[in-house]
Amino acid sequence: MTAPGRKPSRRRKGWHKLFEPLKPRREGTMSAGMILIVVLLAFGVAVLLNADATLRKSNAKGDGIRNEIARTVASVTDVLQINFFRNSIDSALGKNQGTNIDVEELLRQQAEAESAAAAADAQKVPELAAPTPTEPMKIWVGGDSITQTFGTSFQRITQSTGIFTPTLDFHISTGLARPDYFNWPEHLVKNVFPADPKILVIMFGANDGQNMVDTNNKVLVRFSEPWIVEYRRRVAATMDLLKDPKNQRLTIWCGPPPMGPGTKTQGMDELSYIYWGEAQSRPWIQYFDTWPFFSDSEYMFAGNLPNADGVVRGMRQKDNVHFSTVGGDRMSWAVIDRIGKLVNITAGNVTPPPSQGAPPSLVERSELPPQMAGAE
Amino acid sequence: MLFPTIDFGIFFLVVFTVSWLLRPHRIAWRWFILAASCVFYGWWDWNYLMLLFLSIGLNWFLGLMIARALSPEGDRTNASRWLVRIAVIANLGILGYFKYFDFFVSTISERLRSIGITVDGPMLNIVLPIGISFFTFQAMSYVIDIGRGQWRKPLNFLDFAVYLSFFAHLVAGPIVRASEFAPQLDETPDPRYVRSGEAFMLIFRGMVKKVVISSYLATQIVDPVFANPDSYGPAAVLLAIYAYAIQIYADFSGYTDIAIGIALLLGIRFPQNFDSPYIALSLQDFWNRWHMTLSRWLRDYLYIPLGGNRGSKSMMYRNLFLVMIIGGLWHGANWTFVVWGALHGGYLIAERVVREKWKGHELGLPQVMVKSMQWFLVFNFVCFAWVFFRAQSIDGAFTLLSRLFASSGSTAGVSLLLVFVIVASVASQFVPQRFPQKAEVWFATWAPALQIAALAGGLVLIDALGPEGIAPFIYFQF
Repeated sequence: MTAPGRKPSRRRKGWHKLFEPLKPRREGTMSAGMILIVVLLAFGVAVLLNADATLRKSNAKGDGIRNEIARTVASVTDVLQINFFRNSIDSALGKNQGTNIDVEELLRQQAEAESAAAAADAQKVPELAAPTPTEPMKIWVGGDSITQTFGTSFQRITQSTGIFTPTLDFHISTGLARPDYFNWPEHLVKNVFPADPKILVIMFGANDGQNMVDTNNKVLVRFSEPWIVEYRRRVAATMDLLKDPKNQRLTIWCGPPPMGPGTKTQGMDELSYIYWGEAQSRPWIQYFDTWPFFSDSEYMFAGNLPNADGVVRGMRQKDNVHFSTVGGDRMSWAVIDRIGKLVNITAGNVTPPPSQGAPPSLVERSELPPQMAGAE
Repeated sequence: MLFPTIDFGIFFLVVFTVSWLLRPHRIAWRWFILAASCVFYGWWDWNYLMLLFLSIGLNWFLGLMIARALSPEGDRTNASRWLVRIAVIANLGILGYFKYFDFFVSTISERLRSIGITVDGPMLNIVLPIGISFFTFQAMSYVIDIGRGQWRKPLNFLDFAVYLSFFAHLVAGPIVRASEFAPQLDETPDPRYVRSGEAFMLIFRGMVKKVVISSYLATQIVDPVFANPDSYGPAAVLLAIYAYAIQIYADFSGYTDIAIGIALLLGIRFPQNFDSPYIALSLQDFWNRWHMTLSRWLRDYLYIPLGGNRGSKSMMYRNLFLVMIIGGLWHGANWTFVVWGALHGGYLIAERVVREKWKGHELGLPQVMVKSMQWFLVFNFVCFAWVFFRAQSIDGAFTLLSRLFASSGSTAGVSLLLVFVIVASVASQFVPQRFPQKAEVWFATWAPALQIAALAGGLVLIDALGPEGIAPFIYFQF
């Protein structure tokens, strides 16, 4: 009943409910329908507020429908100017101020140490003192997930030689394409060089076949010509960073192995060519050509290969990307053999058992074939 | 599919909507949840769905056979005992094949190599199927419970498939028992009263723990120091050890918080898996608070069948030690996990011996001081054991520990913020449960628009504070 002369009170309906405090009949509860509205709208608002960050990640991951959606959402938020919230947080945190490696800054940190004398000396392959059991040599092996199995083998085998003190340092990460994810040059300067390893064995890059963002926030499509120019620049800067002022550090830069069928990694030959090319003018970097050891006579991927004892074994894990333990052992002995050509390591037990080492007939290529820019 | 991703957000919105629409239709709901769980698991590798269904089919069939083999009164018979043994062996066989085969082959090869015999055993080199340890343990608990006569009526195939594959607990627990899950399948929760306050808080808290705290500690100090301990000095190493204790707690309990919150939004309640473990005053107390569903599993299906507290003290200690070693090995195929388990087994035995010896003795110190000392010892014992859990090898663990006494070394990564995060994370565990519970109830009274703003702002903040990309949860590998 309504009092005479008064309008009937109308219950507020629809969107007004969104602004009224809830009075749940049971403590801490809400209806499933209201939860759906709250979650849907919260998720939608978060996607809009976060559009720039989502686009940044999407740009790096590659093309496709996700990237198209991310671009569309980001352009909407640009117009609406609602990306300021996330961008302000990033700015306050000092994050995502461009994804370019600040190698120049890192290089400046080393500039004092790099005297003219050192520069002259560095034009030669570093001449390292021969390690002995009483004075073992510090050797560091690091890289991405491929280095996990290879590095574990390498650590075990170098330890067993009696003349090396190995350190394994792998990070599930990209190489040089996504320094915002893991910054290898920074890691090398901050965490690796202070331990003063005499030999560094580096192996990363298998995940680098992805788009990059340059200093102007422009997306460089993977393996396009501008991408290669930028990637080459990063490789060159990292190699320069590896130069020791006293020329007492040798780096074995291992190219990524060929990847098998069904893998998403692409362009390993392109990356190898860039590494090899940049290493040619830097004697402190010795490029190690992985391909002959993990491919057939045509340099095509081979998952099963014979070792020196003639027994065929599986070199790779089921994903056709990562090494098996056997593959890691084979790779390790090949790298040790390469080190042996540059440093006198005869004081150690450096002869591979035939069941672990590659057939002696396998040798690295003296020159890598040039690649076509833009070809995946 | 990882929880804190846009992919999962979209997936969950669809599942949540359809699930509540289908909830009154019990069979349709079950088929839908099973399909959703397959999509969730298949997102990593569709091939491993076959393994999941092998486990479902095998355990459902054996459960049925075991139930039929029991006496009419539900007592065990010779046939039921044999069938339980077959079920346990089959489950352990599958787990062993995928998880431990390479470990045993490489260990034997290494031993033979050390005595001059070179034998290259056949290595499988297969990627460990995600969550295999969790769903295998759940399946084993089901068949063993039936064999014990605790389940008179085995689940039908669909119910069992939903139980074992339910996406919220599939890949990293909690280890939910059929007796906890199955009765909820027959209930029809009221869609007007979904525990949103608790669920939102759990999900939000879990994401902060995983995306912000765990990731920060991992990248800031834990990963660099554990990868390269030789370079670091005592301060960095000590902080890395404490940071790892927080990282693994934040990572794992963060996952279970999200899992419990998600299940709650769908009207399913999971058991609690963590209860502020770092406030424990004894090691026994720690294990009552850490990974509680695994502790219960080990107690009921291993410790008690081994003899438990029955028999002599030496037998009890043996049982305790064995259970902890097997618990360690459950976490992974590496000797580091065995050492971690052995350390905890040793701690628990030592604690019991000391407690026996000190019974009736008083230190004469204020209670607060005694409790503080107990807390300090337990926390540091646990942190010490974590070193072996995290290290890549036993040698690596000793190298790291030796750096605690080094005279020099890098302090890279050490900062006031890091110390604050570690201290605040430990301190937060002392906050009484009633405060977050009150906050949950309060949050549910907020106007929906305010809840939307808070949740959206929270998501953006978490994404901004976290690293680019989400690392897999640590416990996915177990």
